[in-house]
Amino acid sequence: MKYYLKLGFILLIITAFASGILAFINSLTDPIIKINEKKQKEEARLEVHPEAVIFDSVGVLNDEVVYIAKVEDGSIIGYTFMAIKYGYSSDIKTMVGVKPDYSINKIKIISQAETPGLGANCGNPEFHDKFLGLSYDNLLVDKDGGNIISITGATITTRTITNSIKEALNSLEKLLTDHSLEEVAE
Amino acid sequence: MNLFQEFTKGFVKENPVFIMALGLCPTLAVTSSVENAIGMGLAATFVLVFSNMIISLIKNLIPAKIRIPAYIVVIASFVTIVDMVMHAYFPAVHKNLGLFIPLIVVNCIILGRAEAFASKNNLTRSLVDGFGMGFGFTLALVVIGGIREVLGAGQFLGFNVLPETYKPMLVAILAPGAFLVMGLLMGLMNLKKNK
Repeated sequence: MKYYLKLGFILLIITAFASGILAFINSLTDPIIKINEKKQKEEARLEVHPEAVIFDSVGVLNDEVVYIAKVEDGSIIGYTFMAIKYGYSSDIKTMVGVKPDYSINKIKIISQAETPGLGANCGNPEFHDKFLGLSYDNLLVDKDGGNIISITGATITTRTITNSIKEALNSLEKLLTDHSLEEVAE
Repeated sequence: MNLFQEFTKGFVKENPVFIMALGLCPTLAVTSSVENAIGMGLAATFVLVFSNMIISLIKNLIPAKIRIPAYIVVIASFVTIVDMVMHAYFPAVHKNLGLFIPLIVVNCIILGRAEAFASKNNLTRSLVDGFGMGFGFTLALVVIGGIREVLGAGQFLGFNVLPETYKPMLVAILAPGAFLVMGLLMGLMNLKKNK
């Protein structure tokens, strides 16, 4: 009995020691990771709206801030938002930039953990280009009768990204109508 | 066995994938391209060297009955540390390798070497063994990944190596291709060994 207590106690010391080290390193790295992620989002916003100078937040969509992209003189050139949906094996987050008429300016996959070599190819710039200029009605994968050619062996991933953008576009329109109503009320 | 033999044994003679059949889950999962294979191989080598080092240092402090949970704690903590540090200080590398890092915990090569080697040998030998086995693992992944990428996408390391007219054999890059290529390579190795 005493022997087994001793074993458990040794294991307790090892795990306590390990978790202490992990907690310490986490406290060091966590703030840096958060800053990096924030910076990454800022860069992604600029990437989907390269001409924009000012980004004003207008609301929240999918737990991420929606921004109005403006050029220097204050005229609106579009919006940026995050589309999120569960794909084949992970949540796929896509930063989307749309023009004022809700057609897609550019997209960028921010994070995904799809199958390496198949679905993970959605992070490539060639894939992003497939979405240039598309609007709500022609956001359809080839297998569903649309024009977006799905990634080889990763129809689910392609379809998820397409649908996530579609759903987010729906909520965006609603959000922006509510927003402009509020402004009028003010 | 001298140190040099200790280092090279993992390449062919005791190759972790082809001969010992260890770490097959990550082998099958990430060998769809050479780039992924190198990434996974080097990340696993890194963890393997350090876990071998730590386990060989603390081997006398751990009672035999609880050595497995103790090793797993060491390995898992180490993988988590690598993950966090990489995420914070090398975000670009982490973006490419991030997927593979949690997979290293379940790579039984690491636990296998801890149990079979590091817990019985001194620090230098354990380090050399870690490097050798790690490189052997990387080598196996690159060979499988290379065959699958060339057959399945007509590319090697992302560059086109086959003429445009080649129609990629999609099955090679899909999951069944991993089993086929690995099985055939294992068969070849056995054929050579039995001669």
